[in-house]
Amino acid sequence: MLFETIRLALRSVRRNALRSFLTLLGIVIGVAAVIAMITIGSGTTEKVKQDIGKLGSNLLMVRASRPMRGGLTNFTPRALGESDLEGLAEGLEGVKAVSAASQQTVRVVYGADNMAVQVTGADTEYFIAREWDVALGRAFTDSEVRGGANLCLLGETVRSELFGAGDPTGVAIRVGRMSCRVIGVLAAKGTSGFGQDQDNIVVMPHSTFQRRIAGNRDIDMIYVAAQDGVSTSEVMTNIEQILRDTRRIGPGQEDNFDVRDMTQIADAMTSTTTVMTGMLGALAGVSLLVGGIGIMNIMLVSVTERTREIGIRLAIGAHEKHILVQFLVEATVLSLLGGLIGIALGLLLAVLATTTLSIPFVPSLAVIALAVGFSAMIGMVFGFFPALRGARLDPIDALRHE
Amino acid sequence: MNVMADTPLLTFRDVWKTYGAGEAQVHALAGVDLTIRRGEFVAIMGPSGSGKSTSMNIIGCLDTPTRGVHGFLGIDAGALDRSRRAMLRNRYIGFVFQGYNLLPRTTAAENVELPLIYRGVPGRERRELAMQALAQVGLRGRESHTPAELSGGQQQRVAIARAIVTQPTLLVADEPTGNLDTARTHEIMDLLTSLNAEKGLTVVMVTHEADVAAYADRIVSFVDGKIASDTARMETA
Repeated sequence: MLFETIRLALRSVRRNALRSFLTLLGIVIGVAAVIAMITIGSGTTEKVKQDIGKLGSNLLMVRASRPMRGGLTNFTPRALGESDLEGLAEGLEGVKAVSAASQQTVRVVYGADNMAVQVTGADTEYFIAREWDVALGRAFTDSEVRGGANLCLLGETVRSELFGAGDPTGVAIRVGRMSCRVIGVLAAKGTSGFGQDQDNIVVMPHSTFQRRIAGNRDIDMIYVAAQDGVSTSEVMTNIEQILRDTRRIGPGQEDNFDVRDMTQIADAMTSTTTVMTGMLGALAGVSLLVGGIGIMNIMLVSVTERTREIGIRLAIGAHEKHILVQFLVEATVLSLLGGLIGIALGLLLAVLATTTLSIPFVPSLAVIALAVGFSAMIGMVFGFFPALRGARLDPIDALRHE
Repeated sequence: MNVMADTPLLTFRDVWKTYGAGEAQVHALAGVDLTIRRGEFVAIMGPSGSGKSTSMNIIGCLDTPTRGVHGFLGIDAGALDRSRRAMLRNRYIGFVFQGYNLLPRTTAAENVELPLIYRGVPGRERRELAMQALAQVGLRGRESHTPAELSGGQQQRVAIARAIVTQPTLLVADEPTGNLDTARTHEIMDLLTSLNAEKGLTVVMVTHEADVAAYADRIVSFVDGKIASDTARMETA
């Protein structure tokens, strides 16, 4: 009986293929949006996790606190400086790397080509802290950092943009207003969790950066990498103690710097994704509601069109419930079909998006099952009223209907 | 002669059907008494508005009287609710309509199977019964034709097959030959007559054509919601 009804419903959907398809669009778009968003969202989360793994979960980042605009600040804003870096480098135990890192977007020119690049000033231990290998040439030395030599290493993107497949070592490029000699190329790192190209970078000695690019003695950030097996929270506490001392923060005064480990940064990143997913999910919900109303509308049309058929069925012995079930199944099949198309489309979009953003494709079976269930439910809920209307028809009137 | 055969299949006792209220009240049926026995072939005649269609709707358990008793199989069918009447129709009554009323784009066999689906007959048995019914009305080989691929006479045969596939007690036919030419009319009437004679199927048929009514054993004429005449056909030698 139910099998008969489903067959009947499929046939009816097929007979009005175009109309059915248009009716389904709302559901298709809604479900596709949900599936695509959630799949891309979990892919991003996965990517962030992987990046954290790559960066090393033992990496800590120190920054000067920034006063909040319009908010009350009970700390004295002050950039990080040489004394802070020295304090950390000398005072910390159980760490394998301490490096200053400052960044600025600067135009880099070679020959007729130019591009905007994240120019980073760093110390020698920067490459250890970020676990970044030099693919070609060499990194700069401590004495080169001290001397503020005009040397730089290129990220893979910069190399390929400016030099194609060529070897850039030994060549002088222009970074902002300074000229510097390329001594090496960094291994490719790919896209970060934010979708930022990490290889669009030029690294130079920090002192050079301060003097020639930034024009001050500030340090944007200090990377501290704990040794394996050393707890980061312990290192974090030590960093806080040292910095309160080097920055002369009296007892009871607030810190004017932040120390974060990568898990905190990862949490911040994923929470952004979660909010985005939630908002788009709400939009998709509206689309599903509209889709449901579309189904209700088309089912009302269908019941009216088939009044005579309902009359015949009632005359030859169909009960009210038979007619009710017939139209309910038809509405459910319709929206379920929309749900399935939506899932396929959503996954396709997710595959395209994840490939383009080079993040992992992580489809969730639970979400797909939920989408199937939800679209079936929409059919039943919005199909109920039209089905009831058909079932309640008077057989004599229905038979007379032309 | 057994007792069952003697119990009337269908009785009308002072049946009224009234539409509207107050001044606008119209009596489609105004006190009808009628008894139909098993195995009878009754033609109901009368001009439009005489109440013949209304009485046929009540006989077919599609409608209920406003007043009076409609007995069917010894029960008060007029007092039953919608779903019980649906059950009566499914179990005991077959319908043949003037406009055939087959489901479009649905094969002859599927049309005939329809009442069996609502009875919960399993698929294989359903198809067998449908084939038998189609064979009975002379449509063997046309099972997979849709109504659009069949002539009017053939469509009406499918409708008759659909009506008899459940082996009903009563066949209600509303102007079954209204859309057919003379030759087709006689074919359909011969079919109904043989079903009546050979299977003992009780047939109640509404018609306004005297030569069609002549196939019946008994002719009941309605005028203004009342029975004007009720005559048994004279056997012609």
